[in-house]
Amino acid sequence: MAIVVEGTGLTKRFGSGDATVVAVDSVDIRIEESELVMLMGDSGCGKTTLISLLGCILTPDDGELHIDGEPINPEVQDLSVIRREKIGFVFQLFHLLPYLTALENVMVAMDLARTKTTEAENRATKLLTQVGLSERFHHRPAQLSGGEKQRVSFARALANRPKIIFADEPTANLDSRQSDNLMSLIQELRQEHQTTIAIVTHHEGLKENADRVVQMKDGRILAT
Amino acid sequence: MKTLFLKDMRYRQARVILTTLGITVLISLILLLGGIMNGMRIQARQYVESTGADVWISAEGSGGAFIGFSMVVEEYMAFLNSGPGLVPDSASPLVFAQARPTVRGKSTKAIVVGYKLGQLGGPKSVLEGRMFTRSNFEDYRPEDPVPYEVVVDEKMGLEIGEQITLSNEKVRVVGKAKSLMFVLDTPLLFMDVRIAQKLLLGNTPHVNMMIAKTNKSDQPAQIASDLDALETIEVRTLKQTLTDIIAYYVDEPMKAVQFLRVMLWLAAGILVGMITYVTMLEKTQEIGVLKAIGGSNGYVMGLLLKQVVLISTVGVLLGLILSYVFAAAAPIFVAIHFVESIIVACISFIVCCGSGYLAARKAIAVDPMIAFRGEI
Repeated sequence: MAIVVEGTGLTKRFGSGDATVVAVDSVDIRIEESELVMLMGDSGCGKTTLISLLGCILTPDDGELHIDGEPINPEVQDLSVIRREKIGFVFQLFHLLPYLTALENVMVAMDLARTKTTEAENRATKLLTQVGLSERFHHRPAQLSGGEKQRVSFARALANRPKIIFADEPTANLDSRQSDNLMSLIQELRQEHQTTIAIVTHHEGLKENADRVVQMKDGRILAT
Repeated sequence: MKTLFLKDMRYRQARVILTTLGITVLISLILLLGGIMNGMRIQARQYVESTGADVWISAEGSGGAFIGFSMVVEEYMAFLNSGPGLVPDSASPLVFAQARPTVRGKSTKAIVVGYKLGQLGGPKSVLEGRMFTRSNFEDYRPEDPVPYEVVVDEKMGLEIGEQITLSNEKVRVVGKAKSLMFVLDTPLLFMDVRIAQKLLLGNTPHVNMMIAKTNKSDQPAQIASDLDALETIEVRTLKQTLTDIIAYYVDEPMKAVQFLRVMLWLAAGILVGMITYVTMLEKTQEIGVLKAIGGSNGYVMGLLLKQVVLISTVGVLLGLILSYVFAAAAPIFVAIHFVESIIVACISFIVCCGSGYLAARKAIAVDPMIAFRGEI
């Protein structure tokens, strides 16, 4: 299996002086193609920081990162290109743009990749239909339930056919029924799109869906 | 999605409207304050310039015509009328005094201009009615004085034949002259110099100043300087008089307003900058999201700047329009200079866009995760 993401000695510190917190401490991690990996651990153990580093939305203080075999160097590279072409992100609080409809929220990701509007609209329609929101194309986030918002987030993450999707606590704001539905959807999407998925969760019940579980504590990986 | 920035603005229309209005009000205030001062300067000049006089003679120590208390004895008239460099018989006595006539039962501010009809100092013709009856100037305190008549500024709204009360005497309006309002829309009342002396100067043979024309071949400054050598009078050229009058009636009393205007400029700059800056910083979460899903710094910056430019443009344009509307409706003369308003508009636009750019630059400079957590 090809390696989609590989981090070596990844370290991230916040604060300075005595107040410095090492959120991620010399972590080595590999995620292979088509894998569904779950990063688990207590609150504050560094899970979100780690996927933020892997997803290039946070710059590491130390360590090396390769995505799709390509070394990542924030000093010289425009990371927005990597984020746009190779990575999809799903956030705990959905982070949909409140002034756009569900369809537009998916389309905006493709707009950033300069996809033609007609093509973007067709793909967004297809993705939203796939996630079961064919009746909600023109609803704004405020008019959608938590589960529906998260489905829009997944559709948006898939919009540019990324190599990997990072999902940060995607079920944290959903009830158990919605969580189960979302996990089923994630499995379906994974099959359909052959996408690698890394999910951060503290939800023990979701473990069974994973190909591999990475356990974290105090910024370090305990077991994988 | 070319209209993304517009969709965002429509979603936050209340904030967009408030920010735009903030810019509009500040620009209007700056322009109006400047316009009031410009208006005062124009009004201070227009009467002086309308007289056609080249030199202004006031009492020694008065600081110049219009400035301090000046009483000149009439005897100088004969000297001036035959003086070197002056057009023969052009010297004219002038009473220029603030008064509070009662007009239609209300005490009103006005300036009485007493001059010799046909000489320098007042209108030579009227728009409506007739000029006041001319007295025999040389016949001081005649037994049969001319009637109390006045030619009023057309903007006073008085009708021919109406009476106003001045120093407890009834004065009949006989004509209306082209408006030459003095500072802060103070109307001018033109009357015979002898009547003005009687009503305002205790019927003494004094005047506040004398004015005269110089020969075309002579330099007014040199003539004024020569006459000024006399110990009992001060002589100023038209240029000096204009400088004096603007300093005395506008610049000095308006020092506080000038200061206020500078403060307002600073406040406007800071406030507009802060509004734009804070508005931008509040969008950091969205900036983070856009960056996290692949938006480049250029894309996000473009999105934000389009909003800043649109808000600034509308705010500045509305401010310009509103200031002209208020100027037209103001109870006093407000003269907004077009060039000044363009300069104010440009500077305000640059301040708005500059502060918006700084905030946007700060917001996009951080990692997306930090931005959407609002930890900037």
